[in-house]
Amino acid sequence: MKVLPPTLRPKKRYLAFELIAESPISRDELIREIFSAASHLLGDVGASECAIRLLAFEESNGVVRCESDRTENTRAVLASITSIKGKRVLFHVLGISGTVLGATKKYLEGADVFSPQNSHI
Amino acid sequence: MAEPLFYDLSIHLKSEDPVVLKKLSNLAQHLGYSGIAINSVDNSSKLVRSMEIDTINLLSSVELKISNASKLHGQIGKYLNKVDVITVVGGNESINRAAVENPNVDVLTRLATPKDNGFNHVLAKEAADHNVAISFDLGDIIHLRGGRRVHSLMNFRKNLLLVRKYDVPFILTSNAVSIFDMRAPREMIALAALFGMTREEAISGLSETPGAIALKKNHSPGYIMEGVLELDSSSVSDDLRGEHV
Repeated sequence: MKVLPPTLRPKKRYLAFELIAESPISRDELIREIFSAASHLLGDVGASECAIRLLAFEESNGVVRCESDRTENTRAVLASITSIKGKRVLFHVLGISGTVLGATKKYLEGADVFSPQNSHI
Repeated sequence: MAEPLFYDLSIHLKSEDPVVLKKLSNLAQHLGYSGIAINSVDNSSKLVRSMEIDTINLLSSVELKISNASKLHGQIGKYLNKVDVITVVGGNESINRAAVENPNVDVLTRLATPKDNGFNHVLAKEAADHNVAISFDLGDIIHLRGGRRVHSLMNFRKNLLLVRKYDVPFILTSNAVSIFDMRAPREMIALAALFGMTREEAISGLSETPGAIALKKNHSPGYIMEGVLELDSSSVSDDLRGEHV
């Protein structure tokens, strides 16, 4: 099959984030909470327009993909997440990029992650 | 353009432990804030004193929860010279009215009554005249779910309309009770966009307006009262003096 021409491909944005949490969060728990928060805040229609998808997530850093014209809504969805499975969390979007590589390189590599358990508090 | 300095004027702390304060100011700095106001619950014997930890400006603030509008004046007198930011919790027509008519009040917060948004064109005009800021408490959008969030978004929409029309100062606050309730300034901007606030408005609600409130109490030397400043006689030019003497 012929590939979809670039002009027809939906434009994406990649949000690099850090998750400041009371205790470690698993990927599945996080995905479930993001989708639940999205449909609570924007409704099923709004959530589908955002096309949110969790790409990489390791320890406390990750990348979320969304539609390019829905980045503000996606940010609001992430900000409205307060706890995952009873563990309190805080989403902090570090930066937004047009490619997953850009998001990872610019904002995640060597980023100083804030952890409440850490000694610098 | 220089990066704006962001403030969150409504942070609540259960303990006044220096370790907690340090943790909080570290997080605030990490998220990109340059100043936060720590709210003491009124009647508490100890007020958090304003100070600077690292580059974070910690302001002292008091949140007045009053049962009766007539008590407002006395309560304000008690804290006027002790704290940087005086916030009044609204929630009923007469308290909201008393708060916006008092120029010593810096911020009016949670003004929605059980019936409506608790704010109208009359109060908006008064608030603009007396320079009382209206607080959009984004903690509601973060923490509430379902019908109650719908109501608070509706109230914010109505308030925004009035605030635009009458040029009322407004601020965005997180109303955080723990460090996990804080949100970075850009997340606050995204949350404010949910009820129609533009990016520029949100930035001014996070930086300029709260910054002006934070600086209000830091008077320049020679300050007497609002609009009156004692000038050094040497700094007044001769021709100006000639006209009056």
